[in-house]
Amino acid sequence: MPVQSLQNTDVIVPQHAPHPLLPFLQSQSQTTLTRLYQRPSSCLSIFRLLGPIERQLIMNLLWLESALSVATMSAWVLPEGKNAYDSALTVMTGLHIAPNSTVKLALNPTFKSSLRQAITGGGNTGSFGVPTDKDGKRQSANIENLDAYALERWETILHYMVSSGQGQNPTKPSQGVLYLLQRSGLMNNAHGAALQITSSGFQFLLHSPHDQLWNLLLQYLHMAEERQMDLVEVLSFLFMLSTMDLGREYSTEPLSETQKAMLEDLRDYGLVWQRKTSSKRFSPTRLATTLTSSSPPLPSSHSTGGSRTADGTGAVALSSGAAQQGFIVLETNYRIYAYTDNPLQTAVLNLFITMKYRFPNLVVGMLTRESVRKALGNGISADQIISYLTTHAHPQMRKNNPLLPVTVQDQIRLWELERNRLKSAEGYLYKDFASQADYEYVLAYAKQLDVVLWENAAKRCFFGTLEGHANVRGFIERRTGSV
Amino acid sequence: MEKASHLSVIVDLSPTQWHLSAQTSNQYPLSIETFLSQLLAFLNAHIASKHENSLVVFGALPGKSVLLYSSTELLSDDAPSLDANSYLPFKLVDSTVVQRIMNEFDAIGELEEEPPCALVGAVTKALCYINRITHPSSTMPGVAEDPSIVHDPRILILSVSPDLSSSYIPIMNAIFSAQKLKVTIDVCKVYGPDTVFLQQAAHLTNGSYIYLERRDALLQYLIMSFLSPTSIRKILAVPKQDKIDFRAACFCHKNIVDIGFVCSVCLSSTHYLYCFVTKF
Repeated sequence: MPVQSLQNTDVIVPQHAPHPLLPFLQSQSQTTLTRLYQRPSSCLSIFRLLGPIERQLIMNLLWLESALSVATMSAWVLPEGKNAYDSALTVMTGLHIAPNSTVKLALNPTFKSSLRQAITGGGNTGSFGVPTDKDGKRQSANIENLDAYALERWETILHYMVSSGQGQNPTKPSQGVLYLLQRSGLMNNAHGAALQITSSGFQFLLHSPHDQLWNLLLQYLHMAEERQMDLVEVLSFLFMLSTMDLGREYSTEPLSETQKAMLEDLRDYGLVWQRKTSSKRFSPTRLATTLTSSSPPLPSSHSTGGSRTADGTGAVALSSGAAQQGFIVLETNYRIYAYTDNPLQTAVLNLFITMKYRFPNLVVGMLTRESVRKALGNGISADQIISYLTTHAHPQMRKNNPLLPVTVQDQIRLWELERNRLKSAEGYLYKDFASQADYEYVLAYAKQLDVVLWENAAKRCFFGTLEGHANVRGFIERRTGSV
Repeated sequence: MEKASHLSVIVDLSPTQWHLSAQTSNQYPLSIETFLSQLLAFLNAHIASKHENSLVVFGALPGKSVLLYSSTELLSDDAPSLDANSYLPFKLVDSTVVQRIMNEFDAIGELEEEPPCALVGAVTKALCYINRITHPSSTMPGVAEDPSIVHDPRILILSVSPDLSSSYIPIMNAIFSAQKLKVTIDVCKVYGPDTVFLQQAAHLTNGSYIYLERRDALLQYLIMSFLSPTSIRKILAVPKQDKIDFRAACFCHKNIVDIGFVCSVCLSSTHYLYCFVTKF
């Protein structure tokens, strides 16, 4: 998601897909959200998840003491931006950041004071995490170690998923992770004891790490609700992690019981690192600190490290140049050369290509009808394959315009269409009409209702949808009754 | 996914002008301390908007211009200590900017006559900086897809000094390079009379020029007019100047003139203007 939308730079109104967390937050009650807004770090993180227009509106209102009339604010809106402005206001009311009012615009007072506090600093909420003093005896974890740890954890999960159906025995992630995967419907164990990846699991594998992470965390939040964990504590802990500084250690002392329990889960996912399970300190990894940004949450396994500058978090963006480099070369003859030695990437590619050769740093394969149909059968869509190839295209490929050969793109889409030749619909077949006039009369009525799926005048029969049946049937009965 | 935006802020730090600005005889006195605290809140708001947003602050001091803060480079060795109540990047900006301004002011010392502020120098440095980050070295292919590459660079000039007519040519050159780099120049006139050149700079680069009327509401002005990146300005309007002073300065005496004469010989290559007094 962060990379591939660069092609359409001439979009006039910025298209912003809402963050996956926002619908979840909107479904929460006002009291929950207000409690969440008491913490400056949560306000800052939620603010970052919002779209650009919402952010500007919030900023406009942030430093005003009194409410602003709706008319004053909408005077700033240009005619062509009216829709975008209205939808931004809807999002804000949905999150209870701005109360729903047609006369006055103002921010939720709790949100306002917390965000002000986040921006100016100060207060004593301690919501950005309490750092620990330097430990003289042991060296704290450096960034390379943290990255390696996060990567290892995350790839273990993905690798387990991808190879579950192939009879291999990869390292199993912990029980908590397995349960989460099962709950989220990414894997199931319908056919016996061993977990099997599902079609949504296959789709999941082709998403960007950032999407994958939020996907799992959303499931975790749903689970937290069922486990009677305090949602505000869970969310504010996640947001706190996202504002922490990479490579520092924080104390577990001020955390609540719920949050201490969460530490264990998050350690399994690779979001936090602890020296020992009983340790009184923890360090967030890059997976956690980039939760509210669009920079890549994982360094690629063969990245050169990149130079670390200013504040660690800001530098991620710069050093990610190497990490973001793709590795796939796709030729017009359907051949794929993937410069990778990463078993996970190879395994993901194996979902939709036929492997030909493997070398220490290179995998060669073909996109064939069989391999693509196998992927389609697993529930992966043609667009997902294409977007995966686009996202991970080798820098050499970036010189091409369009990036992927058109023939190959079209062929993948055609293969998908091939599968969709048959369409099934439930309904009723009406036949054995007494006369042609009868048939035409009923057919005309059914067409008026727009329920006809198929008709054959020669055989005097037609097929209608399930929903239309009651009406059509009533019509025929009334008609036969009246004759 | 929206892209990161870059903001270069140029602060005019002329001690004399700030002293005048803080006088209580003004309708809305504004001292440099209040100004800085509001400016820092604005800078934090820019960083808060998006994790990848980059920020550079230049100071235009008498006779020289200095880099006060850059989000991509570490300027001071001692990172501020973490504290549980503030977000580290915000704290970093605040402490670095204030610290460096204090150092620069201390270094000025007692001068007989204050040299004019090096505003042009700061603008030029800001443009060079933008040029560097928007055109990353070609040694890193594929980096063009990096989300941290900015597509929407802006310069915000916070001006207190009056026009310096001797800097007409360099300012115009800076404006033309800004146009070429597709940089928007915004100007906020915090104190003093309107400046002709900066009005033109904002107009020519499609930025906005605002004369601060209610100086106690500086932060609100800054946020409503200068925080939004250009893509948002198509939806939420920002105020623009409706009357722009297009007068130029003559090349011989550096006076701002109403009517200038263009040399008929060199007209094609240069747009040299001469004022009445010059004898050919």
